Amino acid sequence: MDSSVDPAEILAVRGLSAGYGGRAVVSGIDLSLDRGDILGLLGANGSGKSTLLRAITGQIRPLWGEVAIDGVDLAGALERAKSGFGLAIDPSDLPVALTGRQYLQLVASIRGCAESDWPGVNVAERLGLKRWIDRLIAEYSLGTRAKIAIAAALLGAPPLLILDESLNGLDPLAAFEVKRIILALASSGRHAVIISTHVVEAVPGLCNRAVLLAEGSIAQEWDARQLADASHAPGAFELHVMKALSEPMSWQRR
Amino acid sequence: MRHDRLVLTLLWRELLAGLRSMRRRDLAWIVAGGGALLAYAIADIVVALQAGAATLRQVQPLWTFGLPGTLFGLGGFAGNALARLCLSRAFAPFLRALPLSLRERRRMAAVAACTLGVPIASIVATAVGLGCVVIVKPLAPVWGLGAAILFGAGFCVAAVLRLRSARDLVHPDTADLAGDPVGRTPWLGAFDRSTPAWLSSWAWGLPAGRITLSWRLVGAAILFGFAAVVAAFISLVRQDAVPAAMAGLTGGLMVFMLSVRFHPLGSPVLRTAPLGFARAWLRLARLPLQLSVAYFLLPAGAALAAEPSAWAMPLASGFWLLALNGAYAVFAAYFMTAPFVAALSFLSAIAYTSYESLEYGRTVLIGFAALVLFLWHRAQRRYRHG
Repeated sequence: MDSSVDPAEILAVRGLSAGYGGRAVVSGIDLSLDRGDILGLLGANGSGKSTLLRAITGQIRPLWGEVAIDGVDLAGALERAKSGFGLAIDPSDLPVALTGRQYLQLVASIRGCAESDWPGVNVAERLGLKRWIDRLIAEYSLGTRAKIAIAAALLGAPPLLILDESLNGLDPLAAFEVKRIILALASSGRHAVIISTHVVEAVPGLCNRAVLLAEGSIAQEWDARQLADASHAPGAFELHVMKALSEPMSWQRR
Repeated sequence: MRHDRLVLTLLWRELLAGLRSMRRRDLAWIVAGGGALLAYAIADIVVALQAGAATLRQVQPLWTFGLPGTLFGLGGFAGNALARLCLSRAFAPFLRALPLSLRERRRMAAVAACTLGVPIASIVATAVGLGCVVIVKPLAPVWGLGAAILFGAGFCVAAVLRLRSARDLVHPDTADLAGDPVGRTPWLGAFDRSTPAWLSSWAWGLPAGRITLSWRLVGAAILFGFAAVVAAFISLVRQDAVPAAMAGLTGGLMVFMLSVRFHPLGSPVLRTAPLGFARAWLRLARLPLQLSVAYFLLPAGAALAAEPSAWAMPLASGFWLLALNGAYAVFAAYFMTAPFVAALSFLSAIAYTSYESLEYGRTVLIGFAALVLFLWHRAQRRYRHG
């Protein structure tokens, strides 16, 4: 690890541009995440949230800029950097021919941990996966697939947990449990979490930071204090975000 | 009917989207490189045809059975492949909820298959006609027209059979996978536990790692077993190592080609995991390689028993089998979601290398090795960066 790297910093994104076929979808992204941070990633459809997360998780090569995870440069040591995060896979990308247990065994074998090596809690039990765990993923509903994807992302207790719209489709109880797990992870001071979501109202209660992406760039950021200020009344933060979203390019004029 | 061109439109949009998603530099490489290679291949074929024109004109079985049979078979092959492609689009997931009957979906697929088949038949007709002109065969245009008719006949027969056999894919979906595996011991478990665990079961689409017997699987096993036994028998009777060694090599390669699958390399499950390309590639190739070697051992053993002094032959076959399996594994990793295209490309590359090596010697193998290395590099890059 570079000695100049802040040991508390889990994710460092500097001047990142990324996209497809040589065309940038996100550009000029600077982002830093410390242990204990829970970042809410907001934005309209097509604003570049998933592209940004794909670039951070090494699924697409950045056109420009740098990404370091837990002090490891993604471009320089791809596999070492990837061991620093757990990504909840999109439910449609899960291997449907395997059972939930086999999928967990697959991920655990790659991460070199036990299939139940979760940080502090038995995630399968907490998310109500036990009666599904030996059934084929092909039989799972969208919510159950999201649960197994989250359970797999938490295996081996990676320092950075990334949830790309994974809270969508969860039943209220599972969503509540996932939020509790996320808060526990952050409060342990060893982990950071990125949550990309359209559920804007969940952000102030769950996250201590938020970022709004618009047209591939960071349009607005909130820290813990600003989030608290912005959500002083029910629906106030939503209103704030909707206003920012409905005024295209207004953030650039500021 | 107003939906008739829907499949065709979908395929056209997919092609455009695929082209747009490519970098211009890559596209230019493909067009320029592919064009140059095609021009060279055409020139080479013309020269070869001119050199053997007199002989080719005289070979009656070629014109009576060989060429018509090949054209009919080629048409059947193309018809089957295209009908399959069009059916897959007619039953695309996003079309499933639409009120389209099985008959309408078949019709959409048939219209698309026919529309795509016509230009292909024209290309075949032109190629055969021009070939006849090159070797100064009388009635070249008639041969061209006949080629189109034979190709078209094969195409139509195969396409109609494929379209007619299309089941209603709208309602049954994961029925094959949806059996309850609780309480059953996965059959492949003992072989599929090494890191990453269950990767082969995933690659083969085995529900929970259980091998479900099908007529296709049993038929293939009987066919391969029969071929191995016959080759071994011939070698033992003639006391000649060649038939069994060759059967071991070709059979082992076919077993590997039919069994190896690399689609998990394209999945975010592996691509976002701390797992290198080489490790994932080797793990996916491992079980098919074991199957291939297991198949090879019986004929190779028979070859050794038939002619112990020619021990070098089964040994060389074994090395060639490993080399060809490795080369095919690279092709299959590059075309990770299209094993058919991988097999076609690999066999074409092997055939072309063999043909050119007749003229230029074994140095042509360097070109083949360079192609394999290039595909390895591209597959690795795609695994790492999409």
